[in-house]
Amino acid sequence: MKKSNHIANENLFAESFHKSGRIFTLICLILISLMPVIYCISAGVMPIWENILKAMPFMLSYILIAMVEIFSYAPLLSVGGQYMAYITGNISNLKLPCAINAQTITKTKRGTEEQEIITTIAISVSSIVTTIIITIGLIPLSIFGKDIVDTLKPVTPYVIPAIFGGLGIVLLSRYFKLTIVPFGIMLLIALAMFLMGKDYGQSTMLSAGMVVSLVSAFILYKRDSKKLKITQEKREELYNEDEDDLIAD
Amino acid sequence: MPKDYIGVFILGAAIVLSIIGMATYYLVKSLKRAKEIGMSSATVKNAVKSSAIFSILPSIPIVIGVGVMMSYLGLSIPWIRLTVIGALQYELLAMDQVGITKVIPTAELIGTAAIIMTFSIVAGPIFNIVAFKKLQHKLVDLEKNNKRLLDTITGALLGGILAGLASHIIIGAFFTGNTSSEDGINTATNGYITLITLAISMATMAVCGLLITKLKWTKLENYALPITILVAMGAAYALTFAF
Repeated sequence: MKKSNHIANENLFAESFHKSGRIFTLICLILISLMPVIYCISAGVMPIWENILKAMPFMLSYILIAMVEIFSYAPLLSVGGQYMAYITGNISNLKLPCAINAQTITKTKRGTEEQEIITTIAISVSSIVTTIIITIGLIPLSIFGKDIVDTLKPVTPYVIPAIFGGLGIVLLSRYFKLTIVPFGIMLLIALAMFLMGKDYGQSTMLSAGMVVSLVSAFILYKRDSKKLKITQEKREELYNEDEDDLIAD
Repeated sequence: MPKDYIGVFILGAAIVLSIIGMATYYLVKSLKRAKEIGMSSATVKNAVKSSAIFSILPSIPIVIGVGVMMSYLGLSIPWIRLTVIGALQYELLAMDQVGITKVIPTAELIGTAAIIMTFSIVAGPIFNIVAFKKLQHKLVDLEKNNKRLLDTITGALLGGILAGLASHIIIGAFFTGNTSSEDGINTATNGYITLITLAISMATMAVCGLLITKLKWTKLENYALPITILVAMGAAYALTFAF
């Protein structure tokens, strides 16, 4: 009875997050979409439609990337986390690492409500902290302008390696078997890409990495399922043989 | 720097308030639920504290991003764009679709860039409104019927993120070497510094791991990743003077 109550409450909790998530997303989406409109009205200009048409391939490519990402991130972010991350952005370089860090520290198990809660807490706190820092950052930027940018700009490209070196060790120690094959394949893909003189950027490589990793994990899963089935059949055979022996005795 | 308009700043303030309101709502609801299901307050406090500390350092480059973009778009548009869905690399690419970095930015060009930056990235939030609930229900069903498969999928996705990013960082760094140059919007990236930063970050985390597991420095657990990022970023900053 207590367990069924707990599950019912868990469902209610998730459902309330869906409802509020949709409302918050809609409000934020409207506000975000108003930005170019308000700018154009304030400046008294019209956008250059020809340039927007020219940028269509770029826009479509990012819609495609977004679709791959959204299916990929959904199992990793919690319900609340997913709604928040897709409003506040910086998912792969901030929200997701922050969530993984909180999950690792609190030692919550995958698929549990505890992990769902910890992930939501991590992404909420991260969203608040980042939003406040960016807003406060406007003060020195408006006072010192280019000076502060020139001082700190050289170090900005190294944030991703600084985060993913450490996080990589955590993920490798947890998912070595699942990570090592796709990592090898992605190294070869990246090598081929750079040898051809092309660089499709981190977000494309990230999406490609997820697809390669899913395919490789599915092959491993099928192989392990086969092994499990064979072991189970052997066990059943042995059990049946033992039973036959007992009957014979 | 291009002219800013008060209306855009007011809109930015409304966006910031909405985001903080949304995050606070989820935070309070989650804290309440944690209490209801009997999670220890120490665990919850750890999650809050570590997430706050973790988020500080990676937020600074976002502020720098606002600074980089303000020469082309003014202060208010980059502030809004980097507060919401997207990331610096995406915003730079999107704004340059109108070639704004190669000419003196006019209000027409800025308005056009703002439209491209805004509407190329809204597919994710729209999907969440329309279909995320269904997708999440499917995931819950999968968890009930085949937990092993869902565990494999989530592990594979995390591994995929690492594989995709690390391969791009490592191979990209080897090809860049010491030759990258600044092009106005993109910061010069030195491949050697990238590789050394990555190695220092990995080594620092490995040392933290050893201290936690072998010497039982359990308090370090909460700060291992922020310390790792701080050490690696400090080293990267020092290395920018050496290369």
